[in-house]
Amino acid sequence: MSRFFRAGESDSDESDSDYSDELTHSESEDHSDSDSDDSSSDDDDAAKKTGGRGRLFEGSFSDSDSEDDTVRVVRSAKDKRFEEIEQAVTSMINGQKINDWVSVQNEFDRANKGLQKAAGIIAQTGVPKFYIRAVADLEKSIQAALEKEKSSSKKMNASNAKALNSMKQKVKKNNRLYEKEIQEYEKDPENYVEEEVVEEKPKAKKAKKVVVSEDEDGSDVEAADDGFTPVGAGGKSIELNQENIYKKLKEVAEARGKKNTNREDQVRILERLLVVANSPYQKIRVLLGLTSAQFDFAIGASGYMSIPLWKNADKHLNSLLTILEANPDYIIKEDVPEEEETDKDRVPQNGEPVYIQGSLVAFIDRLDDEFTKSLQNIDPHTTDYVDRLKDEVDLYSVIVRSQAYFTRLHLTDSISRTTMRRLEHLYFKPDVVIVAVENATAALLPASVATPNQDSSALIHDLCVFLYKNATSLLRTRAMLCHIYHHALHNRFFVARDMLLMSHLQETIHQADVTTQILHNRAMVQLGLCAFREGMIKEAQTCLQDISGTGRVKELLAQGLSPQRYGAATPEQEKLERQRQLPFHMHINLELLECVYLTCSMLLEIPNMAQAGSNPDNRKKRVISKPFRRMLDYNSRQVFSGPPENTRDHIMGAAKALSNGEWQKSVELINAIKIWELMPEAMKIKEMLGHKIQEEGLRTYLFANASHYSSVGLDQLAKMFDLPLASVISIVSKMVWNEELSASIDQVNNVVVLHHVEPSKVQSLALAFAEKAAGFVEGNEKLLELKTPQQAERPKKGANANKEQATGKQQQQRTMGPRGGRGGRNQFNNGLGNSVRGGRK
Amino acid sequence: MAAQYDLTSKMIPFLDLHLVFPLLEFLEINELFYTPTTLLEARYELSLKTSMIDFIDKLHGELKDAGVTPAPIELVERRKEILDKLQNSQAEAQKVMDVIENPEVINALRQDKLQNLQFLKDNYGMTAEMIQTLYKFGQFQYSCGNYGGAADMLYHYRVLSTDDTLGLSALWGKLASEILVGNWEVAFEAVQELKEIIDKTHFASPLHQLEQRTWFLHWSLFVFFNHPKGRDAVVDLFLQPAYINTIQTSCPWILRYLTAAVVTNKRRKNLLKELVKVIEHETYQYRDPITEFVEALYVNFDFDLAKQKLAECEEVLENDFFLVAIQEDFIQNARCFISETYCRIHQKIDVAELSQTLNMTKEEGEKWIVNLIRDTKVDAKIDYKENTVLMNNNTQSVYQQIIERTKGLSFRSQVLATSIEKREAAQLKAAQHEKNHPSTAVPETATKA
Repeated sequence: MSRFFRAGESDSDESDSDYSDELTHSESEDHSDSDSDDSSSDDDDAAKKTGGRGRLFEGSFSDSDSEDDTVRVVRSAKDKRFEEIEQAVTSMINGQKINDWVSVQNEFDRANKGLQKAAGIIAQTGVPKFYIRAVADLEKSIQAALEKEKSSSKKMNASNAKALNSMKQKVKKNNRLYEKEIQEYEKDPENYVEEEVVEEKPKAKKAKKVVVSEDEDGSDVEAADDGFTPVGAGGKSIELNQENIYKKLKEVAEARGKKNTNREDQVRILERLLVVANSPYQKIRVLLGLTSAQFDFAIGASGYMSIPLWKNADKHLNSLLTILEANPDYIIKEDVPEEEETDKDRVPQNGEPVYIQGSLVAFIDRLDDEFTKSLQNIDPHTTDYVDRLKDEVDLYSVIVRSQAYFTRLHLTDSISRTTMRRLEHLYFKPDVVIVAVENATAALLPASVATPNQDSSALIHDLCVFLYKNATSLLRTRAMLCHIYHHALHNRFFVARDMLLMSHLQETIHQADVTTQILHNRAMVQLGLCAFREGMIKEAQTCLQDISGTGRVKELLAQGLSPQRYGAATPEQEKLERQRQLPFHMHINLELLECVYLTCSMLLEIPNMAQAGSNPDNRKKRVISKPFRRMLDYNSRQVFSGPPENTRDHIMGAAKALSNGEWQKSVELINAIKIWELMPEAMKIKEMLGHKIQEEGLRTYLFANASHYSSVGLDQLAKMFDLPLASVISIVSKMVWNEELSASIDQVNNVVVLHHVEPSKVQSLALAFAEKAAGFVEGNEKLLELKTPQQAERPKKGANANKEQATGKQQQQRTMGPRGGRGGRNQFNNGLGNSVRGGRK
Repeated sequence: MAAQYDLTSKMIPFLDLHLVFPLLEFLEINELFYTPTTLLEARYELSLKTSMIDFIDKLHGELKDAGVTPAPIELVERRKEILDKLQNSQAEAQKVMDVIENPEVINALRQDKLQNLQFLKDNYGMTAEMIQTLYKFGQFQYSCGNYGGAADMLYHYRVLSTDDTLGLSALWGKLASEILVGNWEVAFEAVQELKEIIDKTHFASPLHQLEQRTWFLHWSLFVFFNHPKGRDAVVDLFLQPAYINTIQTSCPWILRYLTAAVVTNKRRKNLLKELVKVIEHETYQYRDPITEFVEALYVNFDFDLAKQKLAECEEVLENDFFLVAIQEDFIQNARCFISETYCRIHQKIDVAELSQTLNMTKEEGEKWIVNLIRDTKVDAKIDYKENTVLMNNNTQSVYQQIIERTKGLSFRSQVLATSIEKREAAQLKAAQHEKNHPSTAVPETATKA
């Protein structure tokens, strides 16, 4: 191959055509044109490695790429690959000769593998001749072997026969790919391989033709005539060609999703197209293609989109939005019939907007998802995580921007989706952060799109209200939960509680999807923490009970995988669960959660246990928190207990002290817990806890020791528990009124008179007997009811009545609707416990 | 101080124009919270929206006397206009009335409205539009302040009409008319009817129903606090889940009236617990001395605070249009509650201190306690020398408890035994029946075979 031709043709070839295009050209034009495109700037891995070097050598050496050339000092990767294939082909031919089809099969596979590896090179040079010859021969000899097999009486051995048969299939399939080459070869089997050298001249002519046809396409071939022309120049060379853009775009779109498509190439091509594109329509089209191509990138071992790539996508989305904002007459819609491929540049006419097919929402969704994925996969304790988190502002601004865009177009569905995304980036953040993010976003975006929102609560409120009004029920539910979470975060317990109860979410949440259930759990937990901060111990405990009481907190909040107890989860389940995990910065501190839960349980459970007294029956009856009791039991069983080390130890110690009436020690232990510092206004919370401990200590003391005293001085009690006299009286009064304590206050002497009478053995037995007898009669009644046949009619009636009642109720509920339905409010403490157990399905 | 507890401004949005006048007049007469001139002006403004020409005229004059010159209005023209309209609609309505008042027609009318309509149409050529005129005339009369006439018209309209929505409006109108006339018996019935309709009707949106209920709650206050049976009804109605929800959702201030009604209602003490729960839930949204009193007494057991709140209650009640009538009652009952609670918790009480808690002098207090012991059968005695009340604690003995628990057992067992006997008898009968009539069973099997 002479250098003359190389200079004229090879490099000038349209350097940005994708290789499938080239392949067809080279195939149809000339098979020996093995290196015609060799220096085209296709950036395949292999080509990259060889490209520069190969080009250099091409300049100084002769045909460095023809595979027959053995005089080379430095072998390019191409030669190595081809050598491999050649070896395989040779041994394959040998195998044929000795009728060893097993080895033929192996070698054939090897050759094909080699061919695949060399795909990049082949893309430039065409399929090596010797391979074509080999496979063509192979097919023939297989046919021959089969015929022989049929006619001959002597059978091949089984494995050999099997290999032969499978070879037949394979080769058939394989050869279909190279039909043209094989035809060509068959025309002139003798000279086929040798042709290569000889054919140079005609090839060159044909190559010229290619150029001409390209010229017709409008590509400016002459622009680049040396091997080192930078890519940009090659790209620019076709700048003015509009048709080309659409053609390439179409090609890229068609190649998408195909097995052998090189996605990196595609992106590169599109990027160059972007430089070329000049009308808004072209730009939009190219950007749409480019963004989706970027999202197509194979996800490597890391399981998420690489960060530079993500940023790139973000950038492109941003520029796309900029174009769209600048040109309001171009509208991207999902439901536009695809335009014809030879589309000209379209310009809005007479105010008719141009519709372009595409889905911005999908891009936004994808971008956000990829961001979350990357956060899930980056170790949260590294600076990488923090760096990555900084990108959130960019993401957030894109979301806000697209939201504004959709709002302009009144695409309700898209607005709600982006609004939801926005909300989900905000709802768990404290005010300061929200304001900071908003300001940063406003700084990034043009003023027409976003104005900084200083009042975070108002912002959340607006977003949520929009979703309540416009979105689908799932998004409404999620918005509601986010809103509740936000209120709870800001210590607005009553508002959050009312929203939760009015929405009747707890009744339907079990049917929701898992992520929504997780959100619900998060909201519940936050509500519990909020109640705790407000000093509402009982509410806090009921809110947290179902989440913290299960021992599967991690799983329920999607903050880490809980160890599989029975190894029940299949890998798929585990994978799903992994996907659901929340990024670290959204986590609720689990240790703090446990601490709050146990403290609440302590404050409720210790007096409760004291009230139940030593009677084991009573003890079992009213258990408020099982996990707490279990821990307390475990703790008290220990022979020797050292000084408390972790949070749990502290609380257990405090609980024991409390039950012994040593409230000071209890307070000390609770205050020694370090994790309180994570709460805002830790001092206030400690103070509140101290006060609660005093009160509960008094109650515990009275319960525990009532039977030992006939009267107790109120002053003394006040002194013992360091409480004002009035509140002691109030507490005692409450206990008396609620019949928890059989006592009364002697106002004159200022003492509590205790009437507690411990029933004697006979009496308590008699009581128990009476109870059992009553139970017995009741049991009989039930039995009879079940067995009576005449009931057959009655239940019918009963059922009807029930039904009527039920429908009545339903109606009532329905009519009460989302607002009126505060029925649950009064059963708040019962109802709130209904949180979700089925975190995982 | 009391001004902050004035609910008038909160309630007005939920009341009819005409129903607001009594409230404003009440404020004006008692010279509460606002200056008389502002109130007068407010009334004048309101009256402009009605067709009560003479009333407007009067208020106009009064305003002038008060030194404010209101914007001049074309009273004469409006009067003429209104009179014309009145005459027109009266003439139209009269046609219908003539027919209806015909004794023959009255006899012919039946329960079924559709049939009636058909009858009237066939025999007297009366159309639905004509019946509509009754409604319009009633509405107009109401607007003119002729409430009695309006009530009449609307009654007739409701008897004849089949239009549900207009029927509902007519009922509202009728209720308002009766309230303004002061015809509490009829109004009470209207309230009951209205409640049923609101509960039964399926409204397009829950919000709409909520709105209707809220209105209903406010309007019914007029009736309930004036009708002798009203206070029972208030307690019964407002504590129904649907209405308590309405209160919690849209108008927590109604809690004051509910609380007052419960406190003054001796027979329904058992409802107190429920009320306390609601009040506890709503404290973050609404509180006034009346709810705070209950809260102090039953949530915090702070008798001093309760005492203080009771004193405040007195003032608030006096200034409340609806509750002024039951102020005395309320104070009495509240005292009763305090002393009962007090007695239950305490064993030995200093009479002097208790009297102080009840805002009474010592002598009064003593008398009060004696009455209390006599009335409520509290087991207590006064130690005259030490000047204390001694409560006898009445814990149930174990013996008593066992008797309580086993009391019903034998009866229940008996019931069980009889029902078993009955059942056996029934089975026996069935078996015999089958034996006596085997023929019915056999052919079936035969055919099957």
